[in-house]
Amino acid sequence: MPPSEMAIEQGRLRAHAARLKAGWRGGDRSLLAQVLLLALLLLAAMVFSGSIMTGAADASLGNVVRWLLGMAGADQALSVRDRIIILDIRLPRAILGFLVGASLAVSGAVMQGLFRNPLADPGLVGVSSGAGLGAVLMIVLGSSFFGPLFALFGFYALPVAAFLGGLATTLLLYRIATRGGQTSVATMLLAGIALGALAGAATGVLVFMADDKQLRDLTFWGLGSLAGANWTKILSAGPIILLSLSVVPFLARGLNALTLGEATAFHMGISVQRLKNTAIVSVAASTGASVAVSGGIGFVGIVVPHVLRLVIGPDHRYLLPASALLGGTLLIFADMVARTLVSPAELPIGIITAFAGAPFFLWVLLRGRTHMGI
Amino acid sequence: MIRASNLSVRLSGKPVLHGVGIEAKAGQLTAIVGPNGSGKTTSLKAIAGELPYEGTVSINGHDISRLKPWQLALKRAVLPQSTVISFPFTIREIVGMGLSVGTRTADGKNDEIVKSALEAVDLSGFAGRLYQELSGGEQQRVQLARALCQIWDPLRDGEPAFLLLDEPVSSLDIRHQLTIMRLARDFCRRGGGVVAIMHDLNLTAMFADRMIMMKAGRVQAAGAPNEVMTDAMVEKVFGCAMRVNTTPHEPVPFVLPHTALG
Repeated sequence: MPPSEMAIEQGRLRAHAARLKAGWRGGDRSLLAQVLLLALLLLAAMVFSGSIMTGAADASLGNVVRWLLGMAGADQALSVRDRIIILDIRLPRAILGFLVGASLAVSGAVMQGLFRNPLADPGLVGVSSGAGLGAVLMIVLGSSFFGPLFALFGFYALPVAAFLGGLATTLLLYRIATRGGQTSVATMLLAGIALGALAGAATGVLVFMADDKQLRDLTFWGLGSLAGANWTKILSAGPIILLSLSVVPFLARGLNALTLGEATAFHMGISVQRLKNTAIVSVAASTGASVAVSGGIGFVGIVVPHVLRLVIGPDHRYLLPASALLGGTLLIFADMVARTLVSPAELPIGIITAFAGAPFFLWVLLRGRTHMGI
Repeated sequence: MIRASNLSVRLSGKPVLHGVGIEAKAGQLTAIVGPNGSGKTTSLKAIAGELPYEGTVSINGHDISRLKPWQLALKRAVLPQSTVISFPFTIREIVGMGLSVGTRTADGKNDEIVKSALEAVDLSGFAGRLYQELSGGEQQRVQLARALCQIWDPLRDGEPAFLLLDEPVSSLDIRHQLTIMRLARDFCRRGGGVVAIMHDLNLTAMFADRMIMMKAGRVQAAGAPNEVMTDAMVEKVFGCAMRVNTTPHEPVPFVLPHTALG
């Protein structure tokens, strides 16, 4: 069979497979989605407790649970050590990992809905770089220029600065890439590259200006890692992430309608401008907060929603919560890999997600380029 | 009824409509015809409330500029010329989106309405297919089913709802052209109203109760098809001299492009 015919044959088979899947219950995939949500919840609980139990040091979860429940453990000294490892190192790390992963995946899904394109992602189109610039600005110039801001926001200053950086980038990107309700993919990606490069250059200038102590802060922050997770970071980024995630369910119906176009969404009774504003602010806030506490962790926002769409379809009422669960779970898992692969040393988690995510992204591009308008 | 008076619209600074007046009564199919670029779609968009305009537009006596998007969505549904979707929704999911807007029924009934809407556009059995696999004409019918679901009850609490259709049949084969036009007429019979932009003068004459002819952003003539569709008017509006004939039994006007001179 000549290659061209083989390609057609493959296409036909794929279309057939998609039909079979979609044909389930007459095109209504909501039951499937509900079952998947339940399964993801279980998986999240399993991976979460797994990550608390594994690590370089041997610390038994059973002992800690017994201690928490007030039961006297066999060896008191061991329990205290376990307690510190689990409650002050692994638990905050797993919680932060889940929050960041959920926020990255949901931001990706919301942004893809907003731009009506499966390739939009805060990391890919420069929003993370903009948020990074905000964070670096705060680290380097914070004490000298933004003293009052520091005083006002305390440890929220860093996430707030990252949020403002991300917000400015998202707004600029939307302005540039969307004309008359139509988003040009090429413009979006290219403008994202330009904005990301601009933010990167500005970040470079700031790093150049930084003193030794600030450089150390920057290096730790910029690696894209959950290594510095502690309760303070959770308290600073957690509320912002949770707040922006709690808005997202109210966007689901509007984002569904928006996939039919801005005019049609309006015809269907959606306040399109309000929907867009809410989506942009929530993406910028959760991306900003994530970047502020964990640096640049790429590809979660593009891989997770895409995989889920293959299984349950693009209905945002299910896609958004499922993205939160799978994104959080995946990031905890990636962090476990990062911690244990070269134990007792650690790989930055950004390396793991890039190694897994980038090839996947290329595969998505090759597979879907015909019907994704690129 | 829908009443647009003294409607003027500028698109990127250029005046496109000049004081257009359009009336569409409930129970009637009102067709807007005219050459390309005469302002038909712009008029429909202004009536739908999606464009800034000068003048007034009201639905059932309510000024549409004072209604919120969700309130408008209960009074009218819109079928655009074409809809491109970049996510793999099933037909069931797209048509169901229309439901979630205004048609608030018990859960059990939703499936029934989606099924009947798909039947009405002759797409039974397509519920599980993906939108991207369908042809342009089929996609157009899916969108019509979605719009139908939005105002499933043409007389909601005694207030008529309106279907605004932008070229509903231009990408359809002749059998489905008739299916859709009959569907529109049936919607009117059940108390709703339809405003449709049409290119096919013969279908328009067959089904429309009122015909509005537009040219260069102005209304040239409005009335029953057999009053409006005359040799002189067709030549004036379309710049194409041809003979208008009538069918033998009920006098319905028709044109044959074969009769065009030059």
